[in-house]
Amino acid sequence: MSDRSYDVAVIGAGHNGLAAALTLATDRRKVVVLEARDQPGGLCSAREFHPGYTAPGVHQDTSGLQPALADRLAPHGLRLRKEEFPVYAPSESGKGVRVWRDANRAHGEIVGLSEKDAEAYRDWRAFLDRVGPFVRSVLENAPPPMNVSSLASLWELGRRGLALRMLGTKDMTEVMRIAPMCVADWLQENFESELLCEALAAPAVQNTFTGPWSAGSAVQLLFHQCRAQNEIVGGAPALIDALVAACEARGVEIRCNAPVANIRVRDGRAGGVVLADGDAIDARQVAAACDPKRALLDLLAPGWLPVDLEERIGNVRARGTTAVVWLALSDSVQFAGREDQRIEAARVGGGTLDDLERAFDCAKYRRVSDTPALDVRVPTIANPGLAPNKHHVVTIHASFAPFDVDGGWTDAARNELGDRIVDRLAAHVPTLKSRIVGCEVLTPDDLAREYHVTNGHLHHGEHALDQMLFMRPTPSCAHYATPIDGLWLCGSGSHPGGGVTGTPGTLGALALMAP
Amino acid sequence: MAKANRYDAILIGGGHNALTCAAYLAKAGKKVVVLERRHLVGGATITEEIHPGFHFSACSYVVSLLRPWIVRDLNLPKHGYEVIPLEETFTPFPDGRYLLRDADPERTRRAIAQFSQRDAEIYPMFGQAMSELGRQVKPIIDQPPPDPSSFDPRELFKLLGLGKTITQKGDDWTAAHVKMLTMSAVDFLSEWFESEHLIAPMSVSGIIGTFLGIRSPGTAYVLLHHYMGEIDGAFRAWGLPRGGTGAVAEAIASSARSFGAEIRTEAAVEHVILDGDRATGVVLENGDQLHADTVISGCDPHRTFFGFVGEQNLDSEFTTQIKRFKMRGSSGKVNLALDALPEFTCKPGVGRHLYGDITIAPDIDTLERAYDDAKYGEFSKKPFMDIVIPSLNDPSVAPPGKHTMSMFVQYAPYKLKNGPQDWENLREAFGDAVIDHLAEYAPNIKDIILHRHVLTPWDLEQTYGLTEGNIFHGELSLEQLAFLRPAPGWARYRTPIRNLWMCASGTHPGGGIMGSPGAMCAFAVLGEERR
Amino acid sequence: MPLHTPFHERTAALCTSYQWKDWAGHAAVCRYAHSHEPEYYAFRQSAGLIDVSPLYKYEVRGPDAARLLARMMVRDIAKLRIGRVTYCCWCDDHGKVIDDGTVTRLDEDWYRVTAAEPTLHWLQRLGRGMQVRIEDASASLAALALQGPNARAVLAACSDADLDGLRFFRVTTAKLDGVDVWITRTGYTGDLGYEIWTQSENALRMWDALVAAGTAFGLRPCGLDALDMTRIEAGFVLAGVDYFSAPRVVLESRKSTPNEIGLGWTIDLERDPFIGQDALRREKKYGSAWQLVGLEVDWATLEALYDSYGLPTYLPAEACRSALPVYRGRRQVGQATSHTWSPLLKKQLSLATVRLEDAALGNELQIEHTVEFERRTTKAMIVPMPFFNPTRKRKP
Repeated sequence: MSDRSYDVAVIGAGHNGLAAALTLATDRRKVVVLEARDQPGGLCSAREFHPGYTAPGVHQDTSGLQPALADRLAPHGLRLRKEEFPVYAPSESGKGVRVWRDANRAHGEIVGLSEKDAEAYRDWRAFLDRVGPFVRSVLENAPPPMNVSSLASLWELGRRGLALRMLGTKDMTEVMRIAPMCVADWLQENFESELLCEALAAPAVQNTFTGPWSAGSAVQLLFHQCRAQNEIVGGAPALIDALVAACEARGVEIRCNAPVANIRVRDGRAGGVVLADGDAIDARQVAAACDPKRALLDLLAPGWLPVDLEERIGNVRARGTTAVVWLALSDSVQFAGREDQRIEAARVGGGTLDDLERAFDCAKYRRVSDTPALDVRVPTIANPGLAPNKHHVVTIHASFAPFDVDGGWTDAARNELGDRIVDRLAAHVPTLKSRIVGCEVLTPDDLAREYHVTNGHLHHGEHALDQMLFMRPTPSCAHYATPIDGLWLCGSGSHPGGGVTGTPGTLGALALMAP
Repeated sequence: MAKANRYDAILIGGGHNALTCAAYLAKAGKKVVVLERRHLVGGATITEEIHPGFHFSACSYVVSLLRPWIVRDLNLPKHGYEVIPLEETFTPFPDGRYLLRDADPERTRRAIAQFSQRDAEIYPMFGQAMSELGRQVKPIIDQPPPDPSSFDPRELFKLLGLGKTITQKGDDWTAAHVKMLTMSAVDFLSEWFESEHLIAPMSVSGIIGTFLGIRSPGTAYVLLHHYMGEIDGAFRAWGLPRGGTGAVAEAIASSARSFGAEIRTEAAVEHVILDGDRATGVVLENGDQLHADTVISGCDPHRTFFGFVGEQNLDSEFTTQIKRFKMRGSSGKVNLALDALPEFTCKPGVGRHLYGDITIAPDIDTLERAYDDAKYGEFSKKPFMDIVIPSLNDPSVAPPGKHTMSMFVQYAPYKLKNGPQDWENLREAFGDAVIDHLAEYAPNIKDIILHRHVLTPWDLEQTYGLTEGNIFHGELSLEQLAFLRPAPGWARYRTPIRNLWMCASGTHPGGGIMGSPGAMCAFAVLGEERR
Repeated sequence: MPLHTPFHERTAALCTSYQWKDWAGHAAVCRYAHSHEPEYYAFRQSAGLIDVSPLYKYEVRGPDAARLLARMMVRDIAKLRIGRVTYCCWCDDHGKVIDDGTVTRLDEDWYRVTAAEPTLHWLQRLGRGMQVRIEDASASLAALALQGPNARAVLAACSDADLDGLRFFRVTTAKLDGVDVWITRTGYTGDLGYEIWTQSENALRMWDALVAAGTAFGLRPCGLDALDMTRIEAGFVLAGVDYFSAPRVVLESRKSTPNEIGLGWTIDLERDPFIGQDALRREKKYGSAWQLVGLEVDWATLEALYDSYGLPTYLPAEACRSALPVYRGRRQVGQATSHTWSPLLKKQLSLATVRLEDAALGNELQIEHTVEFERRTTKAMIVPMPFFNPTRKRKP
């Protein structure tokens, strides 16, 4: 290519990198997206893990996509499912419960566990509906300023404070009370059924280094629930397809097999990147959608960053805890006692919050959970094309498998992990093992290597109270800008964090374009 | 109605906060009576002769947070308040080494340098940063918390003022505050230090009295809470009150009496007399009635509202909020009467290391496992222990040549698997676990015990009236602090019952022998704003 | 108990005054006899020998050693040639001085850094991910400073070093009574002088050899009191006295940039990034707030002041480190932080930090002076520094 000078070079073609590129290109900027892997999508990219069987991305939960982005991608083929599907929580006794966000539909199931809880669930959902708009406004806007030093920041804080105040005294104090709590306390204040509590708590601690009794986990559940909408038709890869189509329509150049070796800095200004093959790409600005440790510590020559910031980025907690398992099955997935139901999503735990906590305990001592908690999806129910006729694919996120496991992630450790996870699921799906025709296990170490995420942390950094909002990833980089002129962050390591939302990418791009 | 039983204010419970509140009210000229259920005042701030000749600070055992302005206002030294500073913190390790930190920065530097030269260099900077953070938040603990849910513009200004205090030194300090409030003690300390031999013993001050582990988010805050200890202006100093903590209560009581307050012991309150939504007095268990314009509870919120007021007299929303207010006692006390001094394998003989604080905090995983035990309703098999030998500093508390040892032990969860009553069966097993763990470091301990007194959370509740045995009248977690302590909208010492007030650790700023809740409640009752 | 330096056996035996003070956790002699003046004159007129082992010393080795130090120091260490020593300071991200010291390049990939404050954590932090080995040599290296006009002769008498070839701020290896030593032509007195470094186990032998050789040249063991006087005469700042290490203070106003403490000349601004570069660039553009100046008290006003009380002029014989306010007219424009009577120059000297706009040479300021418990002022002029700067210091 002759003209190698761009307005913006985006590092990483994950959903956030592409969302950033799209936002930038919409503003007529000349953008190149540089992807290390052989296909765009990052953790959202589809992968044929066994001949004929495709897993729709490492990310399996697409319920959090930013609504505005969904609208923008509609012309490029993005569709949301018309209906929500329930999440099934099996129990040892074979009873289990299916949970919908829709309280009315859930009522019938929950009532089987506890009549009180069925009613409480209605109240709980009603509370979420009331505070939802506020919570979403927090999650869809840049983080609030952290000081009142200028009139503008005072105004901005006042505006945000007012939005919170508008919830009314009761809901406002409730939001403030819940925010620092642990999810177990919050749920147990509302529900008596341990099974229901465990099923609801699971997303709050998934991909994090926290258990349900860890303070700060309640707000993660609040975020997850308030953001949840219907999932994407075709899952995460469909989002990538739409993003790629939209980007290309606006002239964005997406280069695969183009790993960035370092970010070029001159006189304190980012001026492009150098690829691993030595190819230099000039760009007036660089937007890094990779994780902050990678962007600021690995890709930047030491010296450009203030020492304090270097230290802080080094201190960002990002210890991957999720293992991913993909199973190719010769037949459907039949949960014991629910053989007739086509269950698309299940949360397999021990049936109590303590079981979830015990799973986490192991991670603290650098061990894989003895009884991991599983987030199970069967994408082939909605999308049969992922596997041969009548065959199925199961994708599993297992918590907790710490990145820094004692003894390291050897092949033996990987196999043992895979077996443990399959056994755990097979306890509720008796026919599972006989139907497995193929399997892939990705440890946090595999995720780190294959998807270039530091420590295999799917969120690019712990979702913890001290790593949220204006603290994510550090105060001086929280508004997407870095101390290096022209270098911006736009990945999950920035507010509002990980998950298939596209929000950090969009907000990062908007910050870059702001005058 | 007999005039003798008519007061301006009645205080339920004779803990140190109630006594402080009474002293301030009496000082302002009010006719005040303090009603204590037991035969001695102090609540959990008491000295008891548990074994003949051995006097123990049975519950709370060290003083650090008692606000200096209260000491001045109430002239406590004149009434016998004296604190002997605890300068050393001694931590034996399983590998035969030990860490002895004391008031001498150079000695402490060398002690830490055995484990990490780098950490030794950073340690004073950490202390400096903590002091600065403490300095910035100190005004908060000496003021009623601002209420963000209020529409009063004064509250808004207060909130802004607070925001300004926290943010005035720049984003780095603001971030440090956020981290303090939200991180775990271990994560927070790991940002500074590399050596586990330093992190483990330092992190435990973050968990004292809470039902949290050193890896639980939110424990870094308690670290600061305990760093704010202050004796005679010196930051971060802990001390043993001469004569035990009971002497502190006695000093406050004596001060209160000198201002004209009446203090009755063995006067257990049965319930609060209500006239509609107003409190007008109390009924004692012996049937006596006392009347007052103001009734102030020095007990924890659960006991106050469910014990003395009654659920039926409260609206359901408030009841729910108080029920949600988590108590969760997590700690026990083992008091030993000793024939001789313990001999630590890693540092034999009698030395300064025995005079200060002895912390059994071998490593992060052991401490975290101790917490895990408690999470699932068991006492820790290898508990964390904070030990002092008061008789070394204050020989008056034991017969000549003998010693008292006070061991604060975590975790001992109130809610055992089989319910809190099971403590009756497990009390001695718990005591054994504590002694066994200590014996790993000081093997002679088993041979020198003359008497062992084990206090479980169950005992703290049954004997001292602390609901669920929580020493702070409610968990010091973020959702139970400031304007949320004990319930949103009721953090200003008032209650939904008119003329009924709260003055104890269940209100802002919380537990510890601090005195601020009592004093600030008195100011609120008197309609004054302090500072 | 303070630590003993490797020379303690000798210094303790000689220290008949029992006057010691803490220097980085070590016992350091203030003065050997009841008066420190002979020691001052040894430094200035014959040769003084002082134990400087408590200095923090770090060995930085490896292919990235130069890169690390270039990033850390305001001076471009990458340019430092083998066999040379440089004096410099290092800053935090905001361009505020953390400490000052020397860097010696002993070999291709081998540097030695001296510092006044513990610096290992800082070196380690900056060396993360670099091919560099950092060793704290504070205890393993012993050091003596041999300062004064006869220093060269003393050293020539007991070592095989090529002293004529050893120019100012150079280093050489040598044998001293059979002991392997490094000799640097550096010092803290602003005079001709050397610092001699060796492994701690050789310390006593090195001391004995120097003392034996020095007898003929009037060599005298000296303490910190005499050193303090000479360093003020030489215009050298002292961390913790004339400026404060940035990480050790909380107040921003207590921190200083290199320019503000007279070390602006050590900055190599335009090069690869180093810590504090941006802030120092901004300072260069917008100017600094403070400047270090040398003050000379006007003798006539001082004498008149004492005269008005019916007293003879009295000045303490030793250097003083308590800060005094400095005024211009009625306005306080700064503070004087180190003061000494210079027996050689017969002047009362001060190092002061004053506002830039009042810091011009020749300005007449007032410095506080207490007589009979009354706070008065005396006239003081801003004069060029160093106050004392003999040509022999740098002469080949």
